[in-house]
Amino acid sequence: MKGLPKEIAALDEEILAFIHQGVEHRDEDTFNRLALKAFALQFRLLSPYREYCARRGVTPERISSWEEIPPLPTEAFKVAEISLFPQLAARTFMTSGTTRGEERGRVTYDQGGLALMDATIDVAAASYLFPEGGRYLIFIIAPPPALAPHMVMAYGMERLRSRFGLPESRFLVSENGFQIDLLVDALHRAEAEEIPTAIFGGSFGFVNFFDYCRQVGIRFSLPPGSRCLDAGGFKGRSREVTREEFLVLCEEFLGVPNPFCVNLLGMTELASQFYDNTIYNRYKGLDLPRRKTNPPWTRTLVVDPETLEPLPPGEEGFLRHFDLANRGHCCAIQTDDLGFLWEGGFEVLGRATGGEGRGCSLTIDEMTRIAK
Amino acid sequence: MRVIEGYYLPPRLRGLCKEVRAQVYNGITLHLPVVTKGLVQEVVKGLREARERYLARLPISHIVGVLDEASRWWLKEDYPLRQEALAVIPAITGLSRAVVKASIDAEMESSLSEDIWQALHSELGNPHYLDGFQYCSELAGHRRAYGPGLLIAIFSGNIPALPHLLFMRSALVKAACLGKMAAGEPAFTPLYLRTIEAIDPQMAEAMAALYWPGGEAEIEEALFKEADAVVIFGGVEACQGILARVPRDKKIICHSHRIGFGFIGRGALRKEAIPRLAEGVAYDHAMFDQHACLAPQAYFVEEGGEVTPQVFAQAVAEAMGVWEERMPRGRISRGEAAAIHQLRARYELGGERMLFTPNKGTAWTVAYEEAPPSFTSSPLNRFVRIWGVKEIFASLPLIRPLVPFLQNAAVAIGDEREGEFIARLGELGVSRVTSPGQMPLPSMMWRHDGIATLASLLRWCDVEKKEL
Repeated sequence: MKGLPKEIAALDEEILAFIHQGVEHRDEDTFNRLALKAFALQFRLLSPYREYCARRGVTPERISSWEEIPPLPTEAFKVAEISLFPQLAARTFMTSGTTRGEERGRVTYDQGGLALMDATIDVAAASYLFPEGGRYLIFIIAPPPALAPHMVMAYGMERLRSRFGLPESRFLVSENGFQIDLLVDALHRAEAEEIPTAIFGGSFGFVNFFDYCRQVGIRFSLPPGSRCLDAGGFKGRSREVTREEFLVLCEEFLGVPNPFCVNLLGMTELASQFYDNTIYNRYKGLDLPRRKTNPPWTRTLVVDPETLEPLPPGEEGFLRHFDLANRGHCCAIQTDDLGFLWEGGFEVLGRATGGEGRGCSLTIDEMTRIAK
Repeated sequence: MRVIEGYYLPPRLRGLCKEVRAQVYNGITLHLPVVTKGLVQEVVKGLREARERYLARLPISHIVGVLDEASRWWLKEDYPLRQEALAVIPAITGLSRAVVKASIDAEMESSLSEDIWQALHSELGNPHYLDGFQYCSELAGHRRAYGPGLLIAIFSGNIPALPHLLFMRSALVKAACLGKMAAGEPAFTPLYLRTIEAIDPQMAEAMAALYWPGGEAEIEEALFKEADAVVIFGGVEACQGILARVPRDKKIICHSHRIGFGFIGRGALRKEAIPRLAEGVAYDHAMFDQHACLAPQAYFVEEGGEVTPQVFAQAVAEAMGVWEERMPRGRISRGEAAAIHQLRARYELGGERMLFTPNKGTAWTVAYEEAPPSFTSSPLNRFVRIWGVKEIFASLPLIRPLVPFLQNAAVAIGDEREGEFIARLGELGVSRVTSPGQMPLPSMMWRHDGIATLASLLRWCDVEKKEL
């Protein structure tokens, strides 16, 4: 297989070096320079994106800041091949598609792009999830990559397991579903042997586990240093709980205190991930509110839902992410997640919904529900 | 802050309402009575008594006269209640003032005496059957129509000036009527009923409008038990839920959410006809911001005319810009904005498609593509979809899965195929065929959702007695 062009490999080297500088700096100039370089490349190599930018009057020559880079809406990944080197695909991830027959977004990674993603996973987790170092017993309430080859969360968690996990660490969702008994046994053992444990998984998997524990009357008191990492929301696969309730449940059923429970915002369209800052803050002795953190190779803006113009901190709008590790597809991604910027991080409030019950025409949501 | 009453009780019954709570909508405070089972039972008792005492004895010509007068008052620019409606409904519904004004004008212009008489003639044959026994030559005897004693209506949605149609119908069949206001637009109906009160206070004694939160089964079941007829507007699932609670012996009319389409054939795509046609298509989307069931979900446009569907889409885009100036789109939620932005991306990046938008914002969108293999619903809020088809009849398989929801179709085929095309739409279940530019403007004669809405409320007595 032909490798990546030299110029690309050289850019990847620069981005990799930037990621490996860790999370303790805010090098704006380098970020901006690399973002513009990646944009110029994506503009040149992705013809649908080039036309998209041209219609907005944006070319690499005309802009000087990453904030001016036109973001692609997530929907773009459902209708177009957004990949610089589809012929060099090393991995393809797909969005989950929540309703019947819904098309799924596709994001393809070449080898260099995958190496960038791997680096973001390693560096971000080493800072925001396991800053104290060491290895943990990791149990993952999600399917392993072999069962879910297109699920980016499975890929990321496998990477975490291999980098930070003790040998007995494992995935707990098989073809037959969530192996809840295995988790119960493993947690009893971890408790008895006082091995710090990390539980990862979809948010709904945790809630279903807590509901099970309540039903059968078990509670754990995991050893100090144990932690929880949840991602992905509930998606109708468990009951919905608020973040506050979720944290109470982690403490109640696992004995994992509030700061050691972090939520991760990850998206198929993004190579990087955004962690809650609580483990990091505690480790650094910082007294700051719980927020999602941008590692230095990413930026997040909040934009006005109507005009898509950036909003000042504190105002609610749609999150727009910039991720240098997205070199292989598109660094700027426009989501329809609602959130706001605040004190060096951001908060995500969930998908924007609405429009039900206005007129008397059949709505998208109504149509979807009836079709089910 | 402006304070208005979000309910109507006739003067005689106003004392029944002991407790009022305030609900704030974007700077407007609505006073809403705290509604209990006991209250609604008292109210409908009062309405029924007023009906027996007065409304049921009124000649139909008097009722038509009052309704005509009310429409005329509402059409006057300086009528204070119209002014009030124009001040509060935009704030409550998010629709622009221009759209609210246009919808009040459209509704009232089609509610004048000539329309009302025609609707009565078209459904009843002879409107005076409502007054007493009339000779019917087909029967070779006398015949009379009786309306229900009490009609309960459940409204939904935010389309202003629509519930008043139901109050007109109930008055025409001489029924007392209690309407449950829609949470999305509780302001217009109380104002309209105050107009009736000003013209004929005794007639208004048989009319009331209240609001209570959906799912108050106890209140609704008590009302359904009292009612002779129930008319329901709402979402498909909500209607089914309510229907399940209406006793079997009641007359029921159900208008659940529906959809419309437009169809333009190659014969209609003549160069000189394009500006008017495009303006009409744009108007169909702009009116009510495309929220009404009357609005199109998409326009199918046939290839092979003087003008291609793509060029036609561009003409519609220009017209959308003009309508935005004349009658701006209203406020939308963040979720609605997200749906528009994301769907636009599909058109921009999805290959053989075209997209026209204003420079900024979501005020309108025109998208062109070849008709997709299966239907997906529009995000509405003035999102125009022009779907190119090689042959206009090829559009029919695409709408076939939507048969239970079909309502309105704008048709301009432009050649001899039009009759056959309309026949096919009728077979599929379309209940109104009109021209592009007329979709939001049904007449009072239209049999809404295919139902003869007045006749369906009536009970008849035929005298077939032969003199020996």
